[in-house]
Amino acid sequence: MRDVAVIGVGMHPWGKFPDSSITQMCRQAVEAALEDAGAEWPDVQAVSAGSSRFSGGKGWGLNGNDVVEDMGPTGVPVYNLSAGCAAGGNAFDIGHMLVSSGMYNMVLVVGGEKMPKGMIQLSGVDEETDPEYLRQIAVGMPGPAFWALLCRRRMAEHGTTEEQLADIAVKAHQISVHNQNARFRKEFTQEDVLNSALVSDPLHLYEICPVSDGAAAAILCSAEEARKRTTDPIWVAASAVATAQFDDGIPRGLASPAPADGHAYHSEALLAVESCYEKAGVSPKDVDLVELQDNTVYYELAFPEEWGLCEPGEAESLLERGETLPTGKLPINPSGGFLCFGEATTAMGMFQVCELTWQLRGQAGARQVPDAKIGLGQTLGLGSNASAVILKR
Amino acid sequence: MTTTKRVPVTEGLFEETAGGARLLGSRCATCNSTYFPKSPVCHNPKCNGSAVEDASFGPLGKLWSYSVQHYAPPPPAKFDEPYEPYTLGLVDLPEGLRVLGRMSTDNPNSLEVGMNVELVIERIHGDDDGNDVVSWMFRPA
Repeated sequence: MRDVAVIGVGMHPWGKFPDSSITQMCRQAVEAALEDAGAEWPDVQAVSAGSSRFSGGKGWGLNGNDVVEDMGPTGVPVYNLSAGCAAGGNAFDIGHMLVSSGMYNMVLVVGGEKMPKGMIQLSGVDEETDPEYLRQIAVGMPGPAFWALLCRRRMAEHGTTEEQLADIAVKAHQISVHNQNARFRKEFTQEDVLNSALVSDPLHLYEICPVSDGAAAAILCSAEEARKRTTDPIWVAASAVATAQFDDGIPRGLASPAPADGHAYHSEALLAVESCYEKAGVSPKDVDLVELQDNTVYYELAFPEEWGLCEPGEAESLLERGETLPTGKLPINPSGGFLCFGEATTAMGMFQVCELTWQLRGQAGARQVPDAKIGLGQTLGLGSNASAVILKR
Repeated sequence: MTTTKRVPVTEGLFEETAGGARLLGSRCATCNSTYFPKSPVCHNPKCNGSAVEDASFGPLGKLWSYSVQHYAPPPPAKFDEPYEPYTLGLVDLPEGLRVLGRMSTDNPNSLEVGMNVELVIERIHGDDDGNDVVSWMFRPA
């Protein structure tokens, strides 16, 4: 397999953009990535795209085709990848393979999303054979309640306090004031967070991510091509996707196997991350920064422990000591994360590739992780999909 | 005098017996993995068996976690207007199942992770004909 470089990244700001189409937003991200790469649209030999069920894509998730038609039909092959919120990461993984395999020398990976208003209705399938439909009619459990159950369990097991949960949101917003692409760029106090509406107890409104519109893109190329265009490429040390294992204790429908030791963890995320460690020859202690999918503050405590980045039960004290800030020992979401950007589902993996690239190049300004050399990104999506990526300079 | 009928939210998920409420599912004849709702096959990748049998579960379990749902859920979930917050629970049953369900409690503050709970069949909302639509719930045992 050949080495693969990220030579250009671009992002459309995240937020609510009622006057922009998804195609316009993707175009802005793609043009920025091409310019950053010093490349022209006809140089792109293949496109790998996150496939949305919410916007564009001709109603069939053909979002990559929308981009190609808009940028100018050159006949390039297009791969549309569907993996819920992991679709951007999934598209990156395929884009990486298209270059590492030797099939193509330059590939565009893009993810864009315009989300409908309000909470995501988890299932689009109104049939009693669909486990999510059954869960909604028989129990009535939207997404945030799922996170709340995991969070409440952690509070019982580790003594996590409501104040500590709130401090994760405070930290995220403290960083996001320095990120021009963030939707929310306002600092909050712990009191502000705890006074925001309780959504699913113990989680407050400011402790879960809202839905947003957003787009992000990257240009991947072979080492030979990268050396022609830049002296400072960022390398894809590893990319992986995974799905869940049978007995991880996470109920994805009405029930799951109950592990005898009471545990529950996202095996799909762990598998993707561990696969990246192995492929990259990187150990958790080598990781300089992490962009993880913080749909809720809970994950910022649970994931680093599940992935060996810190000890079980250590996440709260790292937070309290400021070690998860960009200047700390284990910087988590120096972008501000999805708490501050919102969830633009299929763009999320590419959002992380952009932020990791800026950080590794030293272009992150006031949110810069000092001397960052190795960065880990991770997404989690419906259908028990997960993606992970390790970039290095 | 009219009698309010109890209508299950969907057929085939639960029953009320003399020994208490039961959830209706399946058990693998080979590896004993349990499923709710019923599964026509065993999904355990380490199991080579293919035969599953009907099985029922409950009524006792331990509360793995819980959460009060403070806002009205989006469709297709239904509730009586005006919306009143309800509590959700995740319960480990001794048959090896971790099951979601609503909690039957007037005082969510009294709930504790790890407490004993029992399965009950209770009203979750009404329907247009004035019937009680019932589903499985858990209450402190």
